[in-house]
Amino acid sequence: MNSLAYQIIFYLFAAIIVGSAALVVISKNIIHSAFGLLFTFFGVAAIYVYLNADFIAVTQIVVYVGGILVLLLFGVMLTNKITQADLKTETLNPVPGLLITLSVLAMLLYTFYFRAKWVTVPVDQQLRGTVVEPIGIATMTTYVLPFEIVSIVLMVALLGAAYIARADRKVQTKEGK
Amino acid sequence: MLNDLLLTLPITIATVWVLVLILCEAFVHNANLTRWLTAIGFAGIIASIFLIPSPEGYAYGTMLRTGTFTNFSNFIFAVSGLLVVSISDKYLEEEEINFGEYYIILFISTIGMMLMGSAANLSVIFIGLETMSVALYTLAGMLRKDVRSNEAAMKYFLLGSFATGFFLYGIALIYGATGELALPRIAASLQTNGVSTLFWIGLSLLMIGFLFKVSAVPFHQWTPDVYEGSPTTAAAFMSTGSKAAAFSSLIIVLSNISIALPNNAVLQTAFAYIAVATMAVGNITALTQDNLKRMLAYSSIAHAGYMLVGIAAGSNEGYSGVLYYALIYTLMNVGAFGVIAVLERHRTLTNASDYAGLFKQHPLLAGLMAVFMFSLAGLPPFGGFVGKYKVFAAAVEADLTWLAIVGVLASVVSVYYYLRVVIFMFMRDPEPAPQANANATGSFALVAIAVIVFLMGIFPTEVLKLADNAMKVALK
Amino acid sequence: MENTISEFGKVFIFLALGVVLVVGGFITSRLLRPFRPNTEKMTTYECGEEPVGSSWVQFNIRFYVIALIFIIFDVEILFLFPWATIYKQLGTFALVEALIFIGILLVGLAYAWVKGDLEWVRPNPNVPQLPTKKFEKMPARPEASLLSLVESITPASASESSLPKV
Repeated sequence: MNSLAYQIIFYLFAAIIVGSAALVVISKNIIHSAFGLLFTFFGVAAIYVYLNADFIAVTQIVVYVGGILVLLLFGVMLTNKITQADLKTETLNPVPGLLITLSVLAMLLYTFYFRAKWVTVPVDQQLRGTVVEPIGIATMTTYVLPFEIVSIVLMVALLGAAYIARADRKVQTKEGK
Repeated sequence: MLNDLLLTLPITIATVWVLVLILCEAFVHNANLTRWLTAIGFAGIIASIFLIPSPEGYAYGTMLRTGTFTNFSNFIFAVSGLLVVSISDKYLEEEEINFGEYYIILFISTIGMMLMGSAANLSVIFIGLETMSVALYTLAGMLRKDVRSNEAAMKYFLLGSFATGFFLYGIALIYGATGELALPRIAASLQTNGVSTLFWIGLSLLMIGFLFKVSAVPFHQWTPDVYEGSPTTAAAFMSTGSKAAAFSSLIIVLSNISIALPNNAVLQTAFAYIAVATMAVGNITALTQDNLKRMLAYSSIAHAGYMLVGIAAGSNEGYSGVLYYALIYTLMNVGAFGVIAVLERHRTLTNASDYAGLFKQHPLLAGLMAVFMFSLAGLPPFGGFVGKYKVFAAAVEADLTWLAIVGVLASVVSVYYYLRVVIFMFMRDPEPAPQANANATGSFALVAIAVIVFLMGIFPTEVLKLADNAMKVALK
Repeated sequence: MENTISEFGKVFIFLALGVVLVVGGFITSRLLRPFRPNTEKMTTYECGEEPVGSSWVQFNIRFYVIALIFIIFDVEILFLFPWATIYKQLGTFALVEALIFIGILLVGLAYAWVKGDLEWVRPNPNVPQLPTKKFEKMPARPEASLLSLVESITPASASESSLPKV
């Protein structure tokens, strides 16, 4: 019973993801696409919960739903009268593109189903409960260097974005300001 | 922890210095001061590499490699940054983007490169790649009012993010196949558990990320548009520093993993074919280019092909050849872009025909450009020749004689378009001459580069020894 | 594992309840309400005003920078979230690491602040002003001028006695 309910809910979320992702691609109204993305992000967060990756699920909601999507909507609102512009772009090389995409997909699916030798953790060593604490310990011990570098990445993103989006200002020459 | 900071002194210096630069830019707000401080930062990194070279080993657990390989690659990145800073200022003033942010972002990009060049863990490679790339996307879009610069930034960003996606997926699959992110332990896991198909797919996705960054065929289409649209000096940096970083990271991954691969021939053949395609496409397309920036972009694709020959050889010889090549390519390409930046005026005067009679107007500039062109073409006695000789010799040793022959043929083709520029400069009648826009530091840097390129062609042994040593110890 | 799933299960129940209530409300009202539209009814309700133009107006670019800074610190918080749960176990070392992390980002924030990226665009209203030239000679206090007028036509002693000092 319990596992059946889990499965039903899982497929419900899977359907939401696929449906809303299709809406994102198909919809001609960019706002509708953006809101479709909202459901995709939520659905993916639910899948993370199913994978027992609660921290990633929360990250997904806080960063993607709470941040990226807001930024996306801001981006849409920043552009004026985009409805009148013809958003449809030409699809270049549809046949080779489709061929490559499908062959990559087939290769991946084949490998995952028939040839994959995933390294698995024995059941008794698997994590129980929340994974936030193990992640915290890992970022503070083994991965402390990447952790610190992330702040540099964030800072350069802040710097670059502020520079690009800034209103014009006076150019500085040798003579001074 | 403190010990680790000392072991990776160049990265530590760079990180602290970036904060100084930003605070200086924010509170003093003087682009010229920021430029000088950036140059001092690069000089400090170079000095620290020479004065306190890091011993062989690991830092931060097994996150970073230290030792001769790292010293050599860090040196390339710092030199690239320093040279680009020294040729930048006049050009930036001309284009009205003389802002301190340019130098800061350039400097941050170098941190990413140094992380890539000293990583021993896939997570560090990824974060280094991101640091470098985000900074480079911004650099490409520095000319905010210029539509082509915007296009360059957008293209580079979209395609670069896409390639990074492949890269990350590759890391995920490799982790799934081996359960490790640290490169030495990945190799160990492969030796005990065997190499699975999953791992091969992960590795090839990883390679796509690298090949995009070095602009190898078939992941090269962004290169001409991005180099043409970006500020010329930023293009000089992208074509040298980021390429050297991707190659050094690639060498680290391959040299770690190849011990555990039973069938190295697959990798070798794949790289050989990619190298052939890259050399062919780069050189043949460069023949038809009239815009020098586009020509140099295709030539940079071709040079990635030559370096891939060294990667395909897969030996210590080949890898050290790539390191040497990356260094000499950095020098001569920054030089060539530097001359273009001196003459360029708001995207005009970048065609080969604009250089007609340059020798009569600006003999020094014409002479410098000729040196860089000869060296890029791989003619002796310039440094470029030694680099090519080194990678092709490695290919012959690795039983890839056909590849070396293709490489030589490709460089013969390349002589045409490099010499075309020289012919325009020396043998055509002068047009109304472009005004040179250089100051003392820029001219001094260009002359210094030319002298070093020349010296590295005549006395290559010292640097070659360093490069060989870098590889020997790294591979053990 | 069971535990977390059930915690998220509660979240799911809330979500499902919310969806059911909202969608149910819409459906019931659709079933019950009469449907007799006219032009007045179909206009967007805007506090009794006549709506003008599309609701899609161009935002100021400043919003974008603010949103970007928000995202960057959003991500920063997420990196500090696992840190906060184990801070007690690791002590000073973890504190120093987190301070470095925050410090680097604070430098970025300081940069954006000093450069004026956080400054809000102030409205610069174009207040209509009367041409002042004509009235420039008029003194600021009319009663004072009146006083001097009175002074000029009356003897000083009389003015002192009859008028209060101003």
